[in-house]
Amino acid sequence: MSVVFAKRSAKDLIVGKIPFLIALAVLTLLPLLNVGGFWLDVLTKVNLFLLVTLAIDLYSGTTYYLNLGVSFTFGFAGYSLALLNVYYGIPTEYSMLLAIPISIFFSLAILLPSLKIRGVYFAILSLLVPIIFVGIVTAQPFSLYLGGEGGLRFKQLFLDFARSLPPGVRLTFLQYSYYYISLAAAVVGYVIAYKIGFSDFGFMLRAVGQDEELAEGTGINTLKVKVIGFLISSAYASVAGALYASMRPPVTVDLVVPANTLIPPLTSVIVGGLGTLIGPAIANYLLLLTYELLWGLIGRWRVIAYMLLLIIIITIKPQGIVFKAYVEARKFLRGVFSE
Amino acid sequence: MSEILGCEKVTKKFGGLTALNEVSLSVVKGEIFGIIGPNGSGKTTLLNVIAGLIRLDEGRILLDGRDITKLKPHERVKLGIARMFQGMRVFPYLPVYLNVELVARSIYGDVRLARARTSWALTMSGLLPEAGELPIRLTPYKLRMLEFARILVSNPKIALLDEPFAGLTPDEAEAMIGLIRKFNSLGVTFVIVEHKLRYLMRIANRVAVLNQGVKIAEGRPEDVVRNPQVIEVYLGVS
Amino acid sequence: MYVDIYKYILLFSIFHSSTYLTFSLGFSMLFGVAKIPNLAYGSLYILSAYVMYALTTYIGLEPLVAALVAILVAGLASLLIGEVVVKPGLKMPVSVFITTLSVAYIFEEFFRIEMGLRPITLPVYPGVTYVLGVPVSNHWFLILSASLLMFLSLTAFLKYAVLGRSIRAVAESWDESRRLGIDPLKVLRVAFFVAGVYAGATGVLLTPLKALTPTAGWGPLFTAFAIVALGGVGSVTGTLIASFIYGFFEQSMTYVLGSGVASISPLILIVLVLVFRPQGLMGRVE
Repeated sequence: MSVVFAKRSAKDLIVGKIPFLIALAVLTLLPLLNVGGFWLDVLTKVNLFLLVTLAIDLYSGTTYYLNLGVSFTFGFAGYSLALLNVYYGIPTEYSMLLAIPISIFFSLAILLPSLKIRGVYFAILSLLVPIIFVGIVTAQPFSLYLGGEGGLRFKQLFLDFARSLPPGVRLTFLQYSYYYISLAAAVVGYVIAYKIGFSDFGFMLRAVGQDEELAEGTGINTLKVKVIGFLISSAYASVAGALYASMRPPVTVDLVVPANTLIPPLTSVIVGGLGTLIGPAIANYLLLLTYELLWGLIGRWRVIAYMLLLIIIITIKPQGIVFKAYVEARKFLRGVFSE
Repeated sequence: MSEILGCEKVTKKFGGLTALNEVSLSVVKGEIFGIIGPNGSGKTTLLNVIAGLIRLDEGRILLDGRDITKLKPHERVKLGIARMFQGMRVFPYLPVYLNVELVARSIYGDVRLARARTSWALTMSGLLPEAGELPIRLTPYKLRMLEFARILVSNPKIALLDEPFAGLTPDEAEAMIGLIRKFNSLGVTFVIVEHKLRYLMRIANRVAVLNQGVKIAEGRPEDVVRNPQVIEVYLGVS
Repeated sequence: MYVDIYKYILLFSIFHSSTYLTFSLGFSMLFGVAKIPNLAYGSLYILSAYVMYALTTYIGLEPLVAALVAILVAGLASLLIGEVVVKPGLKMPVSVFITTLSVAYIFEEFFRIEMGLRPITLPVYPGVTYVLGVPVSNHWFLILSASLLMFLSLTAFLKYAVLGRSIRAVAESWDESRRLGIDPLKVLRVAFFVAGVYAGATGVLLTPLKALTPTAGWGPLFTAFAIVALGGVGSVTGTLIASFIYGFFEQSMTYVLGSGVASISPLILIVLVLVFRPQGLMGRVE
């Protein structure tokens, strides 16, 4: 993590923006190459998971407070959307927007008291929250209202509009519109995350992570910094959850189960390099696409292969391999540019 | 002679151990006040109590006559209490200028003012050439200077230094003394905790001696070192 | 026959608690020594159960022999996990979170592929005894006595054996114990093995009464988490008390609210405890 964030010359910024612009161009043009519905769906999901990855990196990657409750926030946004839709008849397009603040509010209300807890206990406590939520949703009296294992069904995003289109293009329209919405969310999310992560506030979060007592003793209001950081992180997870759920009904506990919506982004953050934002972002695409590719190669053994790969990467380079590789690549690029 | 910092019967217990037992101090505006004592005598705990990092069991802390016992550490920094920690504590993965600027940013609302104060503090402590470096690359003396810059940037009324001479060569210690004197003459009150008496005795106006959480003596340095109780504590331990 | 519900709750909370105790003891000790929760701990539970199942069904080994082999396998697997996965990441707790979690998923997937989702079960110790008028399977008494034996032997081991005392020293402080001439990594190895044995023993003891699927490791893991959070990391007495609080609370909630909500009600209790007493009930303030 020993990274000099200071002194960025104009050329550095240009070189830094080029990979970003290339990635943006590739992701924008990719659907036009007729990649097929399956990969379009996968990429949509990966785009939205970028927001979760950033949510974890912005808070846990800088403060080293491992918030495992992110999957709760993600799933809660989905459930809020579905409940507003099913019980109050609010169309998906609007309930999606309403679900975001609701989910942020509940995440804060539930996890805020735990912010004073330090170290590994915070991680344990935050992991218990999604586990409890899964238990509540599947348990007898609540499962009747929350859909239980089968989940809550509702009309997916833009379905009414798609039905007005000729039958042949309906599915294509939905897939393409979802993809570009997810891409827009990912790009805007990334740019904002970068601005926050390397602002004075972002560095205050890092200061809290590096020496909380020192931060407090030298005048930083650590509690305020942690709460705001947590709020931003929850906002990212809520937006991702609401968008994801709106595109893939029904809403089930799969959204909250840590294995589905916490482990992949958390892995990206660690493999990518804590607090570096660009590293986790790249890792998010590399790892999740690798995971899907493995499906075609070795079928049901892919989970084991993927996990083994992860263990090897993390064991060899616990400090995050992707960011290091990125820095090397940038050095190389800078060499090319200066000649 | 007006009091700037007062401790009234400050008591702090950790489990069964009494770290501070009814310690009272009165620091006068503009002086250099030393706190000495053997290891484990409660010196650092006292500084932590004044800075607000440790909650009191009993007693009060006053700044300029105002009761600040219930204030949080960052609120006390805003009121003008700055703290240098023991053992060169800095944020290891933030560049030097950010180590200072973050403090300034949390004290001054205005970004430009914070930046200006930061470059002033870095200039004063001679760190401008290393502003973009990570603290890992600094020498121990430069690290101390970084901590000093962090104190200066908050424009303090009173600065709490915990063993500022530890790990410095004699020449570097002289430079540190020069800096302390300079800012003292500019109106900053200093409270200095030190285990080694050599340097402290030269600059302190008054000294308090702690032993096992109790204040056993207070007065001018030359009087205190002749106090038989102090001699016994120091000879008995070292 | 009318059975007094309070007797029922009391009896079965004792029985259940004793299994929680055995399982959590290993987890707590390991947590204390390594300072990192081992999320692969639940896989050792299913591993030993599946090994015993394979040995009794396919090879036809005596249940007792098969059980001992299965427990040993769990111990060795735990040792291996410690060596290969946990040790390289000790300085980076976050990465151990991920790697041990990955190990847990590898086990789960492996058994899902090899054994399918069909629940398996193991031979029960036969017979029923009436206690206070409540019929209780003799297997519960086997579990209770085994748990007590394991609790007492671990307590004695940590208190009197040289190795046990080194475990406590390392749990206290790695640096201090190094100064005393203890090799923390060697102690860690012992802790991993012992913890594996305890998880494995719970697996072979409890599976006869509860069907086992590849995902069955998660429940006990979270229970252990909760109990350690309640009792304080590395505290044997704390684990004992917390196990019984957990078991009693869970069993009474089962009768009040039904089994669905009851399984999560202790977790809610633990969240409340953690929020108000972050160091656990028996933990010390640092």
